Amino acid sequence: MKRAPSLQRRLSLGLTLGVSLLWLAATAATTLIVGHALDKTLDSALKETAQRMLSLAVVEIINRDEADLLQQVASFSAHEEYITYLVRGVDGKPLLVSHDIDLSVFPDTPQTGLRSTATHRVYGISAVSDTFFIEVAEPLSSRRQAKWQTTGLLLLPLAGLIPLILIGTWWLVRHTLQGVRAYRDTLESRGAGDLSRVAGQDLPAELLPVASAVDHLLERLRCTLEAERSFTANSAHELRTPLASSLAQLQRLRREVPDGPVQQRAKHIEASLQDLSRLSQKLMQLARAESGSFLTQTPQDVVPLIAHLVDDFQRTSASPIVLSLPDNGPVTASIEPDALAIVLRNLMENAVKHGHPGSPVNVSLTDAGTLRVVNTGPVVPNARLSRLTERFQRGETRTRGSGLGLAIAQAIADGAGARLTLISPASGRSDGFEARLQLIVVTAPPLSLS
Amino acid sequence: MRLLLVEDAALLGEAVRDQISEDGHAVDWVHCLDHAAASLATTVYDLILLDLMLPDGQGLDLLKRRRQGGDTTPVIILTARDQLSDRIDGLNAGADDYLVKPFDLSELSARVAAVARRYTGNPNPLIHLGALEIDLANHTLMRAGQPVALTAREWALLEALLQRPHALLSRSQLEDRLYAFGAEIESNAIEVHISRLRKKLGHSVIDTVRGMGYRLGQA
Repeated sequence: MKRAPSLQRRLSLGLTLGVSLLWLAATAATTLIVGHALDKTLDSALKETAQRMLSLAVVEIINRDEADLLQQVASFSAHEEYITYLVRGVDGKPLLVSHDIDLSVFPDTPQTGLRSTATHRVYGISAVSDTFFIEVAEPLSSRRQAKWQTTGLLLLPLAGLIPLILIGTWWLVRHTLQGVRAYRDTLESRGAGDLSRVAGQDLPAELLPVASAVDHLLERLRCTLEAERSFTANSAHELRTPLASSLAQLQRLRREVPDGPVQQRAKHIEASLQDLSRLSQKLMQLARAESGSFLTQTPQDVVPLIAHLVDDFQRTSASPIVLSLPDNGPVTASIEPDALAIVLRNLMENAVKHGHPGSPVNVSLTDAGTLRVVNTGPVVPNARLSRLTERFQRGETRTRGSGLGLAIAQAIADGAGARLTLISPASGRSDGFEARLQLIVVTAPPLSLS
Repeated sequence: MRLLLVEDAALLGEAVRDQISEDGHAVDWVHCLDHAAASLATTVYDLILLDLMLPDGQGLDLLKRRRQGGDTTPVIILTARDQLSDRIDGLNAGADDYLVKPFDLSELSARVAAVARRYTGNPNPLIHLGALEIDLANHTLMRAGQPVALTAREWALLEALLQRPHALLSRSQLEDRLYAFGAEIESNAIEVHISRLRKKLGHSVIDTVRGMGYRLGQA
């Protein structure tokens, strides 16, 4: 299964990524605009320079004695020249140059207008009917540097911003989700059978409808289960009373009828009525077993329950039941007492039915909540064991039975989160059949330090 | 013993009444809580057989009321509810035993006898009285090693006397224990049964206190 996304992780990453992308886009736009403005400003400065220089240069060249000699203008103080210029005549012959000029920057023949070379931005104009040309060059590298610096300055805060957003979002989301987490913990910590309302008052407003929907659902579930249980209980009553009447009347009849064919027939009817009542009881147990959860909201000590159940079963049992209970006080389990009663009764009935007639059935409970029902019957092959908990599956036996007992026990064990294991031969023996029910014990028994 | 049967299912009630009567007890059968309360107000019963779901209410309520009122008459619940929690509720309310429908009538007889014995303070079903060995559980009686057969009425009479070994029981008290409401009783019925018992068990088993009644002989 795909791992469910964490809201905290998603929000943190998403917000960080979003803000970073926006920032980058803003940086890119700013860089473009600033670059454009810079170019425009520097270009107009270049033009201005060329025009000022040209008028001065023309006067200088015309006034000097030898007009077509190359003159290099000296600077007042030595410095690395940023803008260089070249004045040429109509034939392309250099007439006046700045002091630090690199002639390779300029083309062989003078050109007018703005243009860029690989390394420089160049502007050229002419004067006196195209007899003098001036070209001014500015290196592009400094423009690029200025642009990079601007970009760098704009990106710098992002380095600090990313961890800040991450931490901030993480903290904010964590803080906001505190109510949700508390809600989740409440849900997780409650038993599966707990269908009461869930306290959701700390939830954010957006999630309150979810909490009320959950409550609503739990309430409906509880009503349904309740209705189902009361229906089962009522139909049990409706069915049992006529059965009891027929059986009792028939038993009275048998006492009044002399031995003979009528007595025999009455005996058969009585046996099938007994079967019918057993089967109806099993079917009701099965319906109940599959009606859901058997975890109680109030776990209780199962020791007296088991003692009572065994005692009660003992009174009508064909084989003696030997019960051993833990000495160290209570075994508190979260299984519903009625469900435990049905499981144990079915396991005992099964053990008596399939054990050697009259030989004892051992029922034992350990501190750890392991309930074992062991008989001395014949070994059940492994292949059959796994099928015994299916409905209407009977073992290799001639005894009467509905084939539902172990299926009911299994269904209830599932609903109570308990594990039912069938073992044959019984552990530590060479024969017999052992049914082992591992209950969920709520509080471990106190450890004895001695 | 005199028993009150509270059961609304006609066929079942009839069979139970016949069975208990055959065991030698007097049974009054009522179909609802109101009638049960009326009977209990006027008659002392040795045991109540109580159905839980009755047309006019829950049998458990009647039981709780009586226990709260200090009444200790033994009660066996007869019910279709077989859940452990129902059973525990019933026992907590003060029931002495709990029988789930459908039940065997012989099982019912055995439980009635067991509860009755528990209340007379003698849970041991084997009683020795002089040369008599009386098995209350199996309704067998040996006199000097020889089995003696008793009729149901004779058993009931003997049990009534055994339950209160030192008490004097009047003729009408014994009639109450043996016969239900409205039963036709011959005026000398008790005397007849007593004399038959004496014939079978020995004369000294039952003492007659002239004009007062009978009690178990000190033999």
